[in-house]
Order: sequence, then structure tokens, then C-alpha cells
Amino acid sequence: MRYKITHRTGYNYSAPASLSQNELFLRPRETVFQKVIESHLTITPEPQYQHSRTDYFGNSVDVFMVQHPHNELAVTATSLIETTVPITPIPGGTASWEDVAGRLALHNQPDDLLACQFVFASPMVTVGSGALSYAGPSFLSGTPVLVGAVDLMRRIFTEYLYDKTASNVETTVDMVLINRKGVCQDFAHLAISCLRSLGLAARYVSGYLETIPPPGKPKLVGSDASHAWVSLFIPDCGWVDFDPTNNQLANERYITLAWGRDYGDVAPVKGVVMGGGSHRLSVTVDVAAKNI
Amino acid sequence: MIETVRNEPLILNSTSIPLFNSLVFPAGSYSETYSAPFVPRAHWLQLLSAFEAIGAVELKKYHERAKQMRHEDGATINPFDDPSQRTTSWDLDLVPLTISAAEWGEIEGGLIERATLLEKVLADLYGPQHLLKSGQLPAELVFANPNFLNCCHNIEPPANRFLTFYTADLYRAEDGRFRVFRDYASNPGGLGYALENRIVMSRLFSDLYHKTQILRLAPFFQSFQHAIIGRSALVEEDPGIVLLSPGPDSPIYFEHALLSRYLGYPLVEAQDLTVRNGKVFLKKLDGLEPVEAIFRHISDLNSDPFALRRATGSGVAGLVQVCRENNIDVVNPIGSGFVDTPALPVFLPSLARHLLGKDLKLQNHPAWWCGSKEQLAYVHANLGQLTLSSAFDRHTAIDQSCDQGALINTSPASYMASAPIRPAAVPVWDHRGAGCSYSMLRVFVCATAEGFTVMPGGLAIIAADIETLASNCPERQQSKDIWVLSEKPVETFSLMEAYQSVGEFKRSSDLPSRVADHLLWLGRYLERAEGLIRLLRSIFRRISGEDRPEDIPELMFLLQILQARNIVAAPQNDGRETPQFKELHSSLNNALYQRSQGDSVVSILNQVQQAARKVRDRLSTDSFRIINHLEDLAVSPSYDPLEFLDETLFALSAFSGLAMESMTRSLGWRFMDMGRRIERAVNQIKLISIALPQVLSNSRNTLEALLEVSDSTMTYRSRYRSAFQLAPVLDLLLADENNPKSLAFQFSRLADHVEHMPRQSERRFAYSEERIALKMLTAVRLLDLAGVQYGEENTQNESLVSFLQSMSAYLKEFAQEVTGHYLTRIPATPHFTMINNDLPL
Repeated sequence: MRYKITHRTGYNYSAPASLSQNELFLRPRETVFQKVIESHLTITPEPQYQHSRTDYFGNSVDVFMVQHPHNELAVTATSLIETTVPITPIPGGTASWEDVAGRLALHNQPDDLLACQFVFASPMVTVGSGALSYAGPSFLSGTPVLVGAVDLMRRIFTEYLYDKTASNVETTVDMVLINRKGVCQDFAHLAISCLRSLGLAARYVSGYLETIPPPGKPKLVGSDASHAWVSLFIPDCGWVDFDPTNNQLANERYITLAWGRDYGDVAPVKGVVMGGGSHRLSVTVDVAAKNI
Repeated sequence: MIETVRNEPLILNSTSIPLFNSLVFPAGSYSETYSAPFVPRAHWLQLLSAFEAIGAVELKKYHERAKQMRHEDGATINPFDDPSQRTTSWDLDLVPLTISAAEWGEIEGGLIERATLLEKVLADLYGPQHLLKSGQLPAELVFANPNFLNCCHNIEPPANRFLTFYTADLYRAEDGRFRVFRDYASNPGGLGYALENRIVMSRLFSDLYHKTQILRLAPFFQSFQHAIIGRSALVEEDPGIVLLSPGPDSPIYFEHALLSRYLGYPLVEAQDLTVRNGKVFLKKLDGLEPVEAIFRHISDLNSDPFALRRATGSGVAGLVQVCRENNIDVVNPIGSGFVDTPALPVFLPSLARHLLGKDLKLQNHPAWWCGSKEQLAYVHANLGQLTLSSAFDRHTAIDQSCDQGALINTSPASYMASAPIRPAAVPVWDHRGAGCSYSMLRVFVCATAEGFTVMPGGLAIIAADIETLASNCPERQQSKDIWVLSEKPVETFSLMEAYQSVGEFKRSSDLPSRVADHLLWLGRYLERAEGLIRLLRSIFRRISGEDRPEDIPELMFLLQILQARNIVAAPQNDGRETPQFKELHSSLNNALYQRSQGDSVVSILNQVQQAARKVRDRLSTDSFRIINHLEDLAVSPSYDPLEFLDETLFALSAFSGLAMESMTRSLGWRFMDMGRRIERAVNQIKLISIALPQVLSNSRNTLEALLEVSDSTMTYRSRYRSAFQLAPVLDLLLADENNPKSLAFQFSRLADHVEHMPRQSERRFAYSEERIALKMLTAVRLLDLAGVQYGEENTQNESLVSFLQSMSAYLKEFAQEVTGHYLTRIPATPHFTMINNDLPL
């Protein structure tokens, strides 16, 4: 599929902000199943300082600073992307989770070592006994690793309530486990915590999902959103993406922006502003399918 | 549990002579001083005989003097403002730890080797990561380790130096060999205390110090300075180097201020710095000044809230980005805290063979990492004899009572275990006389163009028990100066000149807004304290005489001032009756001593002190001594109120005199004086407004009291040589620009100050504070007092009242404008986009 993505983030400040610095993870990365045809960034007011780099996980990062007083700030990222159907191994045919965890513990293959950085707790994904015992029923002894992950995904989908009001940027895995509700990043963090508690490598993927309008209704522009899901490392196969919020393995309608250990590594827009009083944030995302 | 060998009580005996011979040193510990009972080691002979010559009686006095010197220097400041706990960090012990030239040579070589190795590890970790890929460094030690900061990967620090300041704790094991107990790179403390100890010791034992060939510390600081300048493209005359401190809340803030003054680097807090165009700037009153190097005393994770920790406000947002751009030399580079990882030393012997091709001269304290199968097995088998700790974070406490074996198994790589430590014993001399303690050496190494250089000396940390020694709390430990003996005559030069001079830096306008703000408030609090003390003194003088309160007509006026300032409660009756002697006394005592009462003398003194502490690097050593003396007065005030008031007023006057004398007439001085003038003017207006109705009804006593609390009696007498009369008194207090206590004098000073503030606009009176100052000055100059007469109904009298009211309003506006213009610190807020508007399909 070919998609044109427009992601606009706007800040309105109640008082002039004198200085604003921001870090953007808004440029989609190339993957085996995703080609980036073009990608643009428009920032108003024009920044006095701009810098791009590739981060430790291979994501493209843009840093910019607006250094004079401003009342609003808008960042628009537009990208043209082509996705193909991801090749996913048959769950029943994957190695047992114990074998996978064992290989990661040894990490004597370069790919296994690279995956190792997603095995341990990270600032926003704690790994504790709560996650381990929640993961237990999905990962009985000898369970093929992807069968276990799919079952874990199904359980999170059925046992947790999607609730926008239940979550904020500080929500921890333990709070999600107790409250049993949250949004996509909470479910992703929970799944990652469960997988890591077993010694598996799981990373957080930030991106978009093309939404399909209800039958007979036209698709509304801007109705899409940022999305987040999980990627699991299966030795000799690679990384397999799955989405606990929607209970499905990723398909060609999933567009990857960036990945990291958790949300904190790849938040689409984060920043620090001096002054500005209180701010109002507005985000619109449009994922439009293009005919080739 | 740190100690498994029985920790015998240290035996003290202060009466016997010679001084230390009767001490029994703990078995199983190396004795630094004696090779056998009563047989001192050769390199201690000179010191011991010098101490014998001084004798126990004199040493007691030395001990007191040392305490006094440190107190005066501010090293004993209690960081938590709790007068009941006057704990100090690393209290100084009198007996230096002497180390022979030969032994120091070995330590020095070992430290340089270790620093070289650690720097190679850092360079690899934040670069190609060969050690990780080849398995020399386990993956867990990097990926599960919060001290590895992936955002710093691929940053090349200036001159490619990844470790520019290395610190280690060494202890001497029973076999007499030194071992490394801990390594530090992120934010070690103690450098300033080592310096302070040396300053005190060299003054205290000046004879001995100069007769003995002791290596000096100053060359080390010079190398440090040269290395920073050499690495960056800094101008040697005026390098933009700052010392970044977490601020006065740090328990070792004293050392930041001391180092700042000694090295001549402005002492800044994170909020004083800002990032623009990929560079760091110091926010000063007259604008932004580039910063090329930061000697940081904040930890890695507190360096940059933007790149590292989202929630905390501490740190300089964007600092890591500046490092990426290679526009700053941070000592140490951010990310070097990896060196602090407790489990890292376990791997250093093999890394040394791999990277240096040799074995380390300085061995580690024996420890085992549970992430390795073989070592885990050893730990499980010997758990009873070992101390379990976190492998990654020194500050994570482990519940020593839990099932440790099970705890390790939950996540073996997160734990390590170490053998009990048996540090060497040293003689000490404290208030009880001779004694003995355990000791550890904190030593400092800095990068130079050629490699590394070691400070010849350091901080000997001591404690009476091993557990305290091994802990990380300076407040519970003591310290010693380390004397490294030299076989050759020593070079004597010092950076002390810079230290002795007043705390204004080379650049005259070098004043962060934050410091200006504190100076302004210091001025205000000082004046407030003085004003209140004069007032209370006048009251106490009157009521301590023979007269009954109701027979002192001006007492009502004086009490009304206190009531207007909410210092004593307004009387129940309509205010016409003089209060009873007893209740008067108790409320006045509250006005003096009540700590919880915001405006009592004691609490204003506390505010003076807090403001002074925040700007201590701007105050001369002498004036800071007075601040410390004020603290003593406030903590244990004399029970005679008049004595207390006199003493305090004396100290305050001494401070003001010194501060005015020794501060150059720079911006800092202007802000402090401006604070003083604003406060005095406010106070003066209040006094006259309250006195006016009474003096107009012809109360000569009130007129006299007004002059007295305005501190202008002498001036009046010398000028008029006559009885107190209304018009001359008012003229003297309001309009006489030659009387330093008059309103006109304050206004003219304020006008002068604002005229000399840094400005963007060349036009005079472009700023509203300038215009207000001019308005006030003009109004007081035009004030016509000729028509003011006794009797309440008089238009002139009324216009005086309204004059006072409008001046009071102007002053308030003036203070706001100054704050708004120069001092506003805008708070920073982090913002994040949230993914919470997505919809499930």
C-alpha cells in the first residue's frame, strides 16, 4: 500500500514562550516491509536552530529550537510511504519461549546481542513479579514463543478496557496492571513488560494505523492517530510486530515511525519550553491511502 | 552486613604520655603508624615527635582552633537548617595521614593506569563498542545498566577525552597493599574538602608544615586548569569556565563555593545556564555570555532534563545536544558515570590484560558479579560471608534480612557480592584526646595533555566503625589531610591569591540574575534586621528602667510600630491603654526569639543567613565569617535581650561595613545596596506615618524616639544643637540628602543605582524603574515642610500624609519593576505529545 501521512502537532501558549526546544521522532524509518519515498518537516515559526541525527536505535531524530518569543508552535510532518504485507512466521512453528530466552541469555550471535538491549527493564517499562505472573498463563512450559505472544495479546485485548481518561505520560506498568485500563501505549508497555519478565526481547514501536471508516461512511480527514504496538524478537526469524490494542499481528496498514525500549525513547514530539504559561496541544493525523 | 570479622571497640586513652603509644589498634587491620607496638614507621617519626612536642594540652587548643577555622570558612554549615543537628560533612581530624614518597609513587602509578583503562572502556562503550560485541563486557552490564546513557553514544568529547576527572576510594588491606574500593566519574565529592583541610592544617601547623617536605596541592589544580584550557579553544585571559552546582541544598555545597573561589570559576546553578544555537550561555544581567567549559558537580542523570530524565526540572535543557555539537567541555563528559557502576571493577583485570596488555598494579576490593554463572555459584555458596549489593547503582539499598539467595535468582545480573572490608587503622585526635579510627583515601586524578596527573594528597575519610566508613554519608564521617612526603624539596606556589581576594570575578559584570536576586534580598533582610533591632533596643532600654510602662509616653508609639509590622499582637483594648508589664515582656520575647514567628529577630537573622549562603561565593571570606557568627547568635542567643540585641547589631554593622568595603562597586554591590535602600525607605515611611499623629499632637518624647529608632539622634544634635523641634526633625528624616538615614538619601542612591544598571537602550529614563526613581527623588526634593505644624487640622500636615502614602506606593512599584526587568526567572515546563486520541478498531 502507498500512504500519504500528514501529522500536525500544534501548541498554543497562554503567555509568550521565550524559548522552546524540541525533539521529533516524526520521520518514518525504512524497514524490510516499508519504503520511505519522501518525508518533509515544516516548523512554524521558523526555528533558529535545527539538527538531525540517527539515534542509538537507528531512528531519525530532528532537534530544533525556537529562540524568540512566540505564542504558538506548529510542526507538520508529511511522508509518502509504501508498505508491503509483513511476512510473519506461523506461530505454532516458532521455537519455545524458553529456547528463545536461553539464546538471548547467551547472545553469541550478533543479532541476538542487538536484541539484548530490549530484554531489560527501561525507564518506563519496569519488569516485576506482577508482569511475570500475568504473563504466566500464556507461556506455559514449552509454548512456542509467538503462540504465547498472540495469546498474551488476546488476553490484554479482552481483559483490559480501552480508556483515554485512564492514562497520562507518567502511567506505569504497575498502575495499568492494577487499573486494567489504558490506551495503546499502556497496553504496549504492559505486553513488553510481560515479555521481558520472561527473558524475551520486546521493543516499543511508534507509528500509525490506517483507520477504516464504518461501512457506507466516507473517511474523515484527520481522524487517524498516532499509534503504538509491540515488536517481539524471534531468533533466526527477526522481529514480529503485534498490536495488543487491536488484537492483531501487524499488517500492511501499519506504518512504522520509530522504535525504542519504551515510549520515552521515541515520543513523537517532546520538548521543554521556557515560559508560555499553560499550553493547549492539538494533534491531527491523516493517513490517506494512495492508489499507485 | 559489612563486617564479619569481630569489630573490637577501639580503646581510647587520653591521659597517658606519650600521646599515641597507649592506643591499641584493632587486630586484623594494618596500622598506618606503627610497624609493631610502640614502633612507629619511619615516615611517621617526624610527625609524631612534633605532636609530642606540642603536647596534649596545646593539642586541645589546636583542636578548638581547627574547629573554629573551619566554622569561619563555612565548612561546618548545617545543610538542613536544623539547629538541633549541627552535623558537618567530613569534620577535620588533627592528625594528618602521612604517606611515604615510595608508597605514594606506587599509588600514583596504579591510579594513572586505572584511569587510562577506564577511559579506554568509556571511549569504546560510547564509540565502536568492540568490548560489548566481543563479550569482554557483558551485555547486561551495558543494556541493563542505567549508568549507560545511549543518548550520549557517538558523542566525541573535546580532545577525545572521555574521562577528564577520575576519583577513587582506596583502602589499605591487612597485607599493607592498597586496594580500590570504589571508582567515581559522575559526581564525586571531596575535592573541596581536601583543599579546605590543607588550608586549615597548613595554617594550624604552619611550622611543622613548612619544615616537613610535603607535596603541595596547588600544582594539581594548575594542571587541571591548563588541561581544560588546552582542550577547548579558550582564551587564557578570560576563559568561560563555570562550576555547576546543585545549589545550597547540597550537603557539600561548601566545597562548590570553595572550589569556585579557589579556581576562579563562577559558581552557577543549572537555571543560570541556557542553550542557544547549540551552545551554552550564562544568563547574566547584561545578557548572555558564552560558556566553553563546565566543571560539573551534578550527576549524569541530573545534567539534562531534556535528553535524560523527563520529569525533573534540574539540569540544563539541551546540554547533551551541545555536547553532540562539540561546543562544550563538560568535566566529566556526560555518560562517564558508567565508571561508577559497582560491578564494573570485576571486569577490569581482564579488560586491563586485553586493552593495556598487563595486570593492574592496584587491585580491586574482592567482589563477584552474579550475572556470571561461576561467580554466581561462588556467591550462593558463600553468601554468609559476603555483602550483597546492587550491581548497577551504589545507592540502591538491599534488605539484608530477606532471603538473599532467592533475591539474586530473580535477576542475577542486577546483583553483586563483596568480601568484608578490613581497612587500615590510624590515630586520631579529637575532643576526647587520642583515639583510633579506620581510614580510607579519596584520591583525585585529572586528565592532562600527556595523560593523567594525580593530586598528591587527597581526603582521608575516617570513621570509628567500618560500616560508617564504607557508607556514603559525609555527615557521619570525619576526614584528615593526607601528607605525601617528598624526598626532594617541594615547590611552593599557590592559587591562594585568587582565593583570598573578594568574590567578584575577573569579569566585572559577571553576575547571574539569580545571584543579583539573592543579593537584593540579602540587602533587604540585613536592613530589616537592623531596623527591627534598633526598634526593640529602644523599647527594652525604656522598660528595663525604673519607670512603669504607663509612665513612658513614647512607648505606645514604639509598640504601635511593632503592631503595624505584625510583630506583636494589637492590644485587646482600643489601644489607648499601655499593656501590662508581664504580657509586654512575653510578647517582646517572642519578637526576639520566636523561631516560628516570621518577623522575629531570630527568624530574620535566619533569612539573612539563607540569602547569604546562596551568594557565599560573592562574599569575602571575612564577611562570611560574620554570617557564621550571626548563626551562633541566633542559635544560642544571650538571655539578656539588650545584650543579644547589641551583639547582633554589632555583627550586622560589621558585616555591612565589610561587605561595602570589600565588594567592588560592581553590579553585585549595587543590587545588595539597592535592597538595603528599598527596605530602609519603606521602613522610614512607615515609622514617620505612625509617628506623625502623635508628634503633631506635640509629643516631644515621640519625636525623640522617632529620631532614635531612625538612628539620627547624633546627626540631629550635631547639626541643630537644640531641643527637638518638629520641622528640623522631619527635614532631617525626610529631605536631608546628607543624612544617610533620610528618605531623600535612599531615593538618591536608588536613582544612582538604576542609572548604572546594564541597559539595552542608550536613552536615559527609558525604563520605568528609572522614571519612578526620578519621580521619588524629585518629590522628596520639592517637599515643603515649612508649613507643617503642631495640631492635627492643617493642609500642610495633610499633604505630608498623602506624600508619604504616594511614596510608599511608588516604592512598591519600583521594587516590582526592578524585579521584573532584571531578575525574573522564567520557569521551564516540559511538554510531551500523548498518544491518547487513537481509537480501537
